[in-house]
Amino acid sequence: MGRDTEPLTESYFYILLCLYRGPSHGYGIMHDALRLSRGHVHIGSGTMYGATSNMMKKGWIQELPGQDADRRRLYTLTDEGREVLLAEADRLRHLAAAAESIIEGGETNEE
Amino acid sequence: MRNKKHRYVMYPAWEYQREIDDLNALSEAGWQLEKGGCFHSVFYRDEGVRYRYAVDYNQSIDDPARYRDTFREQGWEFISDTFNGWHFFRKKYDPALPPEEYEIYTDEHSVRDMAGRWSRLGYILGGIELLVTAGNAFMALRLPSIGSIIITLACLTLGVTILTGAWRIHHPSVAGKPRKSLRWCFSVVFALLAVGLVYSFFRFHATADSEYVYDPAAPPWTWEMSVSLPDFYTLDAEADVDAYVDITVTNKNGKVLAQMGGGWDLRAKAAMFLLPGKYDVTVQYAPDTPAGTAGIFRFEVD
Repeated sequence: MGRDTEPLTESYFYILLCLYRGPSHGYGIMHDALRLSRGHVHIGSGTMYGATSNMMKKGWIQELPGQDADRRRLYTLTDEGREVLLAEADRLRHLAAAAESIIEGGETNEE
Repeated sequence: MRNKKHRYVMYPAWEYQREIDDLNALSEAGWQLEKGGCFHSVFYRDEGVRYRYAVDYNQSIDDPARYRDTFREQGWEFISDTFNGWHFFRKKYDPALPPEEYEIYTDEHSVRDMAGRWSRLGYILGGIELLVTAGNAFMALRLPSIGSIIITLACLTLGVTILTGAWRIHHPSVAGKPRKSLRWCFSVVFALLAVGLVYSFFRFHATADSEYVYDPAAPPWTWEMSVSLPDFYTLDAEADVDAYVDITVTNKNGKVLAQMGGGWDLRAKAAMFLLPGKYDVTVQYAPDTPAGTAGIFRFEVD
């Protein structure tokens, strides 16, 4: 798959997630991330520029040619970025399932 | 009332939050940043608006237009940048918005990246400064003077301060928090540099040339020096004379501070510490020198 084995940061994860359903611009991504995270993840401009630059270098996202009516730059997810997002979502699901089995399911690790 | 204000302040990189806080406070006082700089900033008067500022350090922007667009899309207005990668932005202040709205780095990863850029710069500058210190120390040891010692100390203090600051940036527990002692270091460095330069400039420096024909009945040839700043000095003597001569440096009480002797093709140096006052450099011919022996002398004190 070619992705780094390190887990994604919240900003990286939400940027990929916000592009999953279609292209968006930095401002839109920032708003969607804030909404999806219920106000927990605010992606500042410096973080946004650094993250989008890195992800473009890695080939996870790409910038679409031209800009929208408000002169905003549009980004879209690549196939590789989609795979990275799905793999990370899968990893998080496993983590959440493991946590739930212990915390809510009453499972113990005693023999 | 003035509509423009020039401010000459230098913030260490690790005190970026203090710089931002100061810019915000000035905006609230009606002074809005027109041009930001490392040493010199320009403000204009406008009491009808309040801004919040962001200062970013980034020298490796691969797409400057996209960089500025990314900030613009989130409401940041680009103000200016500096030759060495500092970028100044502002956003109109709305008290209803949360503080995160005015932060440009919002996750640990990007804060670490930014800190890494700053600390790399600090380590490079600090390293260069220590090399300059080594050069100055070499010169100060070769030709000691109070000015060169002070300048060496200033360079050393600056290098250590920058390296300490770079280290602080790299350590999240202390990054961004001002530390008074480091702030004072810069004042001390500039004061030392100023004193060292002034001292080097005004210290005694003189040369004397003489053609002298020996006359046993006449008093020995004497050059009077008037020293106003205490310092380490070196007397550099050259003589072309067909006799043996003694050269002495004495103070007005007759105390000998330096002495050298030789003849024919004399090349000699004497180092001494001189307090403010008058001194004599005296050329004394050997007693058996025939009258009429000619000599050419050149002295330099530095």
